[in-house]
Amino acid sequence: MFILLGIVSLCFIIIFFQLVNVQLLRGEEFARKSRQNMENNIPIPAARGELYDRNFDPNKKNVVIVSNRPSFNITTVPASFRDNVKMEETVRLVCKLLKISGDDVLNDIKGRNPWERVVIKEDVPFDAIVSIATHQDKFPFIDWEDSSVRVYNHANMFAHVVGYIGVISKEEYAQLKHQGYRQYQRVGKSGIESQYDRVLRGRDGYIRRIVDVRNRVEGEEVGLEPQAGNNLVLTIDYGIQQAAYEAMENYMGAALVIKAATGEVLAMVSRPDFDPNTIIARNNLGIIQQLLNDPNKPFVNRAIQSRFPPASTFKIITAIAALEEERWNPVTTLFCGGTFTLRGFVDTVFFDYRAHGSLNLYWAIARSCSVYFYQLGLRIGPTVIFSYATHFGFDQRTGIDLPGEITGFVPSKRWKLRVFGQSWYDGDTVNLSIGQGFISVTPIEMANVIAGIVNNGIVYTPHMVREVRSPDNRTVIQTFPPRRQREVPISPSTLSIIREGMRLAVTSGTCSQLASLPVPIAGKTGTAQTRSNRYEEASQHGWFIGYAPYDGPPDRTVIVVVFVEYGRGGAAAAVPVAYRIFSKMVQLGYF
Amino acid sequence: MFGKNEIYKIDFVLVTAVILLVFIGILTIYSSGFDPIDKVNSGLYKKQLIWFIAGFAIMVALTVINYQFLGDYSLHIYGFLMFLLVITVIFGTPIRNTKAWLNFGLFSIQPSEFMKLALVIVLAKYLEIRERDIMHLRELLIPALLTALPMLIILLQPDFGTAVVFVPILFTMLFIGGADISHLLSIVAIAAIAIVVPMVITYREWVGAVGTNFLLDFFKETRLILIVASITLFVAVTTFILHFFLVGKWYRRVYIPSTVLSLGLFFSIIIQKYFKLYQKRRILVFLNPELDPHGSGYNVIQSKIAVGAGQFLGKGFLKGSQSQLGFLPEKSSDFVFSVFAEEWGFVGSIILLALLGIVIYRGIQIAIESKDKFGALLAGGIVTIFFFHLLINIGMVIGIMPVTGLPLPFISYGGSNLLMSLMAIGILISVRMRKFVY
Repeated sequence: MFILLGIVSLCFIIIFFQLVNVQLLRGEEFARKSRQNMENNIPIPAARGELYDRNFDPNKKNVVIVSNRPSFNITTVPASFRDNVKMEETVRLVCKLLKISGDDVLNDIKGRNPWERVVIKEDVPFDAIVSIATHQDKFPFIDWEDSSVRVYNHANMFAHVVGYIGVISKEEYAQLKHQGYRQYQRVGKSGIESQYDRVLRGRDGYIRRIVDVRNRVEGEEVGLEPQAGNNLVLTIDYGIQQAAYEAMENYMGAALVIKAATGEVLAMVSRPDFDPNTIIARNNLGIIQQLLNDPNKPFVNRAIQSRFPPASTFKIITAIAALEEERWNPVTTLFCGGTFTLRGFVDTVFFDYRAHGSLNLYWAIARSCSVYFYQLGLRIGPTVIFSYATHFGFDQRTGIDLPGEITGFVPSKRWKLRVFGQSWYDGDTVNLSIGQGFISVTPIEMANVIAGIVNNGIVYTPHMVREVRSPDNRTVIQTFPPRRQREVPISPSTLSIIREGMRLAVTSGTCSQLASLPVPIAGKTGTAQTRSNRYEEASQHGWFIGYAPYDGPPDRTVIVVVFVEYGRGGAAAAVPVAYRIFSKMVQLGYF
Repeated sequence: MFGKNEIYKIDFVLVTAVILLVFIGILTIYSSGFDPIDKVNSGLYKKQLIWFIAGFAIMVALTVINYQFLGDYSLHIYGFLMFLLVITVIFGTPIRNTKAWLNFGLFSIQPSEFMKLALVIVLAKYLEIRERDIMHLRELLIPALLTALPMLIILLQPDFGTAVVFVPILFTMLFIGGADISHLLSIVAIAAIAIVVPMVITYREWVGAVGTNFLLDFFKETRLILIVASITLFVAVTTFILHFFLVGKWYRRVYIPSTVLSLGLFFSIIIQKYFKLYQKRRILVFLNPELDPHGSGYNVIQSKIAVGAGQFLGKGFLKGSQSQLGFLPEKSSDFVFSVFAEEWGFVGSIILLALLGIVIYRGIQIAIESKDKFGALLAGGIVTIFFFHLLINIGMVIGIMPVTGLPLPFISYGGSNLLMSLMAIGILISVRMRKFVY
């Protein structure tokens, strides 16, 4: 009997110590776990920051490029219904009211945890909410929640600049979850929305709900107030953007307007484009698929994401290389008879678009005489040209604050040997000297060439955002001073020769249409021969690169780059676009 | 039978502890039946209160009756309950796939609960009669049969937890009844070997630990076990035969352990070979619920959270989130202790444990002081019922015992168990009251 008493006592002691362990030593831990059991945090989405154009003034009415619109989502928790039949009935009734397919919603519900909130429809008009609220008996367990919708006020005009937002993908989530991103959130997918996502997104708050094991709500309180995202003032000038966008209306291609002294981008247009508002709509798969399948690739921001042969605009590089390395005398004349024959095992004939007769470097730039540059290019050799193309950064990203920028391409002798198994021929040099053949550039890299010429070789990194402002716009949180990107080694005398040649192109050369404007402009055109199966009749790319005012101080100088893809008549299409952009800037008082 | 002076012989400490326990139980059942969202109560506490009133009356009645009377009718009681058990397993109303309840319209009873008490009574009587011969191994056969019969039927219900309770009742009563300890220990050892060996094999294969421990890997090969079992059997048989011809005491020390080892190993081979994998795994999960965190493991995890979250002073009456918001399963019956521990904390748990300890202690004291063997056996058996329930139930709730659906005496919701417990207390008091009568 006493043995039994001993065993019993021992067991009681064990129980006692386990109670000490569980309730006293590990009590805190279990108390925390019990809180986790019953607390269910419902997010309160933070308002995403708005985007304004460069003329933003907190005391005036402003151009709002991207904003938010309050809206409602209709939601339900399927498991709260008495049975599935009742649930399906109610959901179908709601879908009928909202004019959407009940089958789709029910299919969506089937694959989920029935205790999870299901969004039946996003962005529901207010009158639908009213009719649901007034007929609660007909729509039991149908709920609604606030959910703001991103509004791209100028739709297509800023499509490539601001981009759009979207549901966070699995891959993105895996990368971003450590930075406080949550799976239900939306995230910038392209453009400014993506680049500045962390600035714009703010911090979501949450409502803390006390729930039971079946997720029924016992009580709720605000756990954390949401913190709105910061607003961005872009460097874009709405007026110029609009002018450039409209000027490019019938073309594919890109237009860029950049302030030379700071790198601020005043306008960036890429055509064809898309409407971000349709991308963010819920049932957008058809639209996105259609855009993705479009052979003209509307999603590509041609200003920074596509490369083309620079054509005659490249003659500026050849000229600089000759002036710097060969001490080429700009007044030396060469004869142009309309063709140039490269002597060799087999003679090759290179054509010009017309015979120019005898002309010096100024006129060769102004009239874009190819034969002059063929000879110049052969004289200085390809290596020198490569190195100046590299100095201007054709093989590097400009570092603009937009995602997905690509680089141009600068060939080399070694590259040609590796890819084609051939050595570099003089014919290649002839082609290279007028920007044809293997070399290619992005429009924004071309803008940097002008920046270097205008700023005595100094190039600033192009950027899109002027300042970050607090959600109430009262305080400026961050500004973006110009960042020096590179210094191209060119002497001032060379630059003034090039500027004069470009000025001559406007006053009495290839872009004389611009001479009629009240501001002195300097520029250079380019027409790239291309082959394309799709555009047999108009297979010429057109370029215009230039700046104004010609002799003004660099800090007032504005660079304009126009690229027209497969435009009829090449440069003939690009110059009128530049004309409209310059005249708008005159109108806005830029000069 | 029940004179004026006898009133003072009632164990008031025991009765007070029992009444306090039942009221703690009703309070906790009230709390666990409360729905904080719809603000309604399931009303189980009212039923428990009615069961308590009825049970208290029966307890008083049993106090008045001389316990010797139960001994005279022990076989009748046992037979009647066997009959009820058979009826239940055939005609019973299945609740959660278990046919354990006989439905009488207004209420239903669980004969297996009362069978525990009937077994105690019949074993007590048998062991009292056979007191002198019980040292012989063969005398253990009848008690074993008396225990195995109801166990078998209860396993058919199937109610594994309740069936298990009968084993400690048998062993404790044999022990009190004076059975040879080496016999009892041998039986326990054989059973332990038979279960532990296949469980170790299954566990190591399940969690992929094979090849990490030379000694434990030995069990993996059935043939090796068979060889060891055969060798030990041979040793056992030889020494057993030898001890008839040669004088010496040491043989017994050889052939008993070697018989135990070989029998245990043989049985373990049978379990290993003829039990299906899922059956062996089910036993493993029973022994260690953490192996199945979504099934029975979930209950233990939630229950430990509830007990632990109570901390020192508890969350307060009706304020236990684990029970109020339904994270605790079976909160008015099997996991009632977690509900109480969450709301009343360490202090409450210790008080509850102390009250149960008083009941157990008093029971043992009554067994020791009993004037006859029958009374001692009765009290010992009853204490075993209480103690085993308490140990398994609280042990399960705080995570040191396997998950088995055993109620906590006096506290858990359940009329049959409460009734049986109160009847058992009545018998205990009856035994104590009559220790002074010679």
